[in-house]
Amino acid sequence: MALLTVKGLTKYFGGLRAVHDLSFEVQAGEILGLIGPNGAGKTTAFNLIAGFIHPTKGQILLDGESIAGMKPYAVTRKGIARTFQIVKPFKKLTVLENVTLAAFLRFPSRGEAESQARQVLERMGLGSKVFALAVDLTLSEQKRLEIARALATQPKLLLLDEPMGGLNATEIEQASELVRDICKGGVTIIWVEHVLKAIMNSSNRVVVINQGEKIADAPPGEIVENPQVIAAYLGTKKS
Amino acid sequence: METFFQSIVSGLLTGSLYAMIGVGLTVIFGVMRIINMAHGDMVMFGMYGAFLSITFLKIDPFISIILWIPIAFLIGAFIYRFLLKNIVPAGELNTLLYTAGLSLFIANFVLFVATGDYRTIKLKYAIMPLRPFGISVPIPLAIAFGMAILVTVALYWFLVRTDTGRAIRATSQEPEAAALMGVNVDRMAIITFALGTALACGAGVLLAPSLYLYPTVGEILVAKCFVIVVLGGLGSVPGAIAGGLLLGVAESLGAVYISVAYKDAIGLIMFLLVLLFRPSGLFGVGKS
Amino acid sequence: MRKIVIALAVLLLFAAPWIVSSPFFIHLMIMVLMWTVLGASWNILGGFTGQVSFGHSTFLGAGAYTTMILYLKLGIAPWYGIPIGGLVAALIALPIGFICFRLRGPYFALSTLAVAEIIRLVALNWESFTNGPVGLLITTLPDVTFGGRSIDWENKVPFYYIIAVIALAAIVATYIMSRTRLGAYSLAIREDIDSAEAIGINTVQTRVAALSLSAFFAGVAGGFYAMYFRYIDPDAVFSIALSVEMVFIAVVGGLTTVAGPLIGAIVLVTFGETFRQIFLVGHLIFYGLMMMIVIRYLPEGIWGKLRLWFVARH
Repeated sequence: MALLTVKGLTKYFGGLRAVHDLSFEVQAGEILGLIGPNGAGKTTAFNLIAGFIHPTKGQILLDGESIAGMKPYAVTRKGIARTFQIVKPFKKLTVLENVTLAAFLRFPSRGEAESQARQVLERMGLGSKVFALAVDLTLSEQKRLEIARALATQPKLLLLDEPMGGLNATEIEQASELVRDICKGGVTIIWVEHVLKAIMNSSNRVVVINQGEKIADAPPGEIVENPQVIAAYLGTKKS
Repeated sequence: METFFQSIVSGLLTGSLYAMIGVGLTVIFGVMRIINMAHGDMVMFGMYGAFLSITFLKIDPFISIILWIPIAFLIGAFIYRFLLKNIVPAGELNTLLYTAGLSLFIANFVLFVATGDYRTIKLKYAIMPLRPFGISVPIPLAIAFGMAILVTVALYWFLVRTDTGRAIRATSQEPEAAALMGVNVDRMAIITFALGTALACGAGVLLAPSLYLYPTVGEILVAKCFVIVVLGGLGSVPGAIAGGLLLGVAESLGAVYISVAYKDAIGLIMFLLVLLFRPSGLFGVGKS
Repeated sequence: MRKIVIALAVLLLFAAPWIVSSPFFIHLMIMVLMWTVLGASWNILGGFTGQVSFGHSTFLGAGAYTTMILYLKLGIAPWYGIPIGGLVAALIALPIGFICFRLRGPYFALSTLAVAEIIRLVALNWESFTNGPVGLLITTLPDVTFGGRSIDWENKVPFYYIIAVIALAAIVATYIMSRTRLGAYSLAIREDIDSAEAIGINTVQTRVAALSLSAFFAGVAGGFYAMYFRYIDPDAVFSIALSVEMVFIAVVGGLTTVAGPLIGAIVLVTFGETFRQIFLVGHLIFYGLMMMIVIRYLPEGIWGKLRLWFVARH
C-alpha cells in the first residue's frame, strides 16, 4: 500500500478550476518531485494534502486512512508536515523555541521537547544559532529552520514547498544534499520546486502538473524527454 | 399599513445619514486599510460644531456646514499626516488600537471642556413636522436627507469624473499597480482620510438638530458605522450607501414590529452573520 | 535577586493599608488592583495569543451579575459568588470563542464588540432577570467574622485585602501560563497562526482555553466590582468603555509580560482616579494619550521596555 494516495482530487475556487482530477501515489521512502509552470496548481495541491483548504471532490489517503477535510493540525498529527513557500518562522521567538514548539507535539514535557529540538537543529546545521531570534537569520538559515520545525513533528511525509527559492548555487547544492539526507532518515518527501536541475537529480519520480491536471508521472530521465512536458515549459527558465 | 410606510420613510431618512458616515469610513478602509475607531468622534465633532454655530454665532446649522466641512477636511489631513501615517506600517491591529486611543482622547477632551450634559438644538422652523401623504417627516431630518443626497451626488461625481477621484478608486483596488501607474499613493491617502473625516463631520452637522448631543456619542455611532460598512462590503461606496439605508430601515421596522429596545441588536446580529458567512458584504463587493 | 524583589512586593502589598490609611488612597489602591486583574485577564488572551478583544466587559458583567443575583435572590455570600461568577464567565466564553475565533485580527476585534453590545442590550431588556436599567443594589453585606473580629464593611480595608488576593492569583496564573504548553502555544498563535496549525497545534482549542481563563479572571473582577460598589446596571458593567479600558491597561503596561498589567494599572488608574477626584469628568483623556504614545514609541509597553532596557544593561 502506498503511503499517500491522491485520487481524483479536484478543487474549484468559485468558478476557477485550480486542480482537476489529480491522481498519484507516493511510496514510503520515495522522493517525489512535483513540477509544473507557475500557476499550475502545485501549492494548491499541497494546501489540499496538508488540510489548509478542503477538496471540492476526490480522496486523499494516508496509509489507507482518509484525511481529506481534516484541519491542518490534525493532518500534522497524523504524520504529514509541510513547509511554506514564503517562510513563516515565529519571528520574535528564538530558533530553539521555534522548533521546541513543534516538538511538543510528540514530547509533551518541555525538557524532552527541547532536547529533541536541539537534535533536529544540529542535523540541520543550526546548532550554533539556537538562541538567535528567528527574524535575525539569513534566508537560507530560515529555510532550514522551517524544515527543522517540520521535522520536529516526526512526520512520515514531508511536503517541501519550493525550498530552493532565493538560494544561490552553493546553497542549492547543500539543500539538495539535505533533502536526500532527510529521506535516508526515513521520511518520505514530496517536493515542489522550480530549480529543475536540483529536483531532477534528487527525485526518484516526478509528477508534472499543468493547469491543474497531471500530464506526466515518471522517473526524471523519462520526464525530460516527454514532449508534453517540454511544451508546457516552453519559455520557463531552467537552472 | 400607514405605520409600515412611516417606518420605511423614517428609516430611509436616518439611513441616509448613516450612509454618509459609512461612506467616509469605508473609503478610508478601502484606500488605506485603516479601521478608524475615531470616526464616530468626527461625527460628534460636527455635531458640536453645529451647536456652537447656532448658539454663539447665530448661524443656522445647515448653513454652517459650509464652514465645517473644509475645517474637518483640514483636521483629517492633519491627523493622517502627523499622527496616523507613522502607525500604518505597524499593521492593521496596531492602527486599530491607535485610533481607539485617539477616539478616547478626543471624546474625553470634549467631555472635559464641554461637560457631559446632554444638549439639543432647537430650530424655530422645525417645531412641527411636515406631513406629506399623512406621513410625519421632521423638518430637520428632511433637510438633512436632502443635503446628504447632494453630498453623495457630489462625491459620486468626484470619484467617477475627476482624475483625483479615479486615482483614489484605483489605489483602493490595487495600491501597487496604482503606484506603478504614477499615482502618488501617499497623497491619495491624505486626501482620502481628509475626505472621510469631512463626510463624518458633515453628517454630524446635519444630524445635530435631530439627536441629543453628548461627547461620547461617537462610541455608539462607530459601532453602527462598522455594521454598515461590513454589510455593504468593506471599501465599497455604493455598498456603504446601501448598507446605511438598510440599517436605517431595519432599525426603524425593528423598533415598530419587534421592540424599541432590541432595535440596535438587529444591526449587530446582521453584522455578525455577515462577518461570519459573507465577509465580502451582502452584495459581495467588499474586500476582506 | 528577583525573588527578593518579589517577596518585598508581596509584603508591601499586604502591609500597605497599615502604612497609608487615607480612604482615598485605599480606594485608589483597590482600583489599581482591580484593574490589574482586568488587565491581566485581557493580557492572557490579547497578549499571549494576540487576539485583540474589544468585548471583555461581557465577562466582567457576567461575573458581576452572577455575584449580585446569587446574593440578592439566593442569599449566597459574595465570597462564594465571586468565584462562581468567574466560572460562569469562563463558560460563556466557550460559545463566544467558537463563534468569534472564525475571524481574524481586526474582524475578530469587531465581532467581540458586537457580541458585547448584544449582551448589554439583552441585560438592559431582560428585566425579570437583571432588573434592566434600574440595576441591582446591595444594601447590606453579610455579617461575618474573621480572626475573631466582625468585619466592618463600611471600612475599605477588607475590600483591599480581598482584591489583593485576587490580583495575586491573577498574576500567579499568568506566570504559570507562561511556563506551560498553553502559554507557549499561545505565543506561536500570536506570531503566526498558520504556522502554528502546521506544527500540530489545535489553534481553536488553544484560543478558547486562553479565552476561558481570561474570562474567568474578568468575571472574578466583575464579582468584586459588584461587591465593592454595591450597585450595578447594564451600562456600568457591560459598556464598551470598560472593554476598551482593559485593552489599554494591558497594552500600556506591556503585553505578554507577567507584571505588565500591574504597571499599566498603576500608571493609568492612578492618574485617572486622581483626575476624576479633581475634575470629575474626562479622566480617560490620559488613557487615550498614553495609548497613542505607547503604540507609536513603546510597542512593547512601559514594563516591556523597562525589561528590555534592564537586559541590555546587564
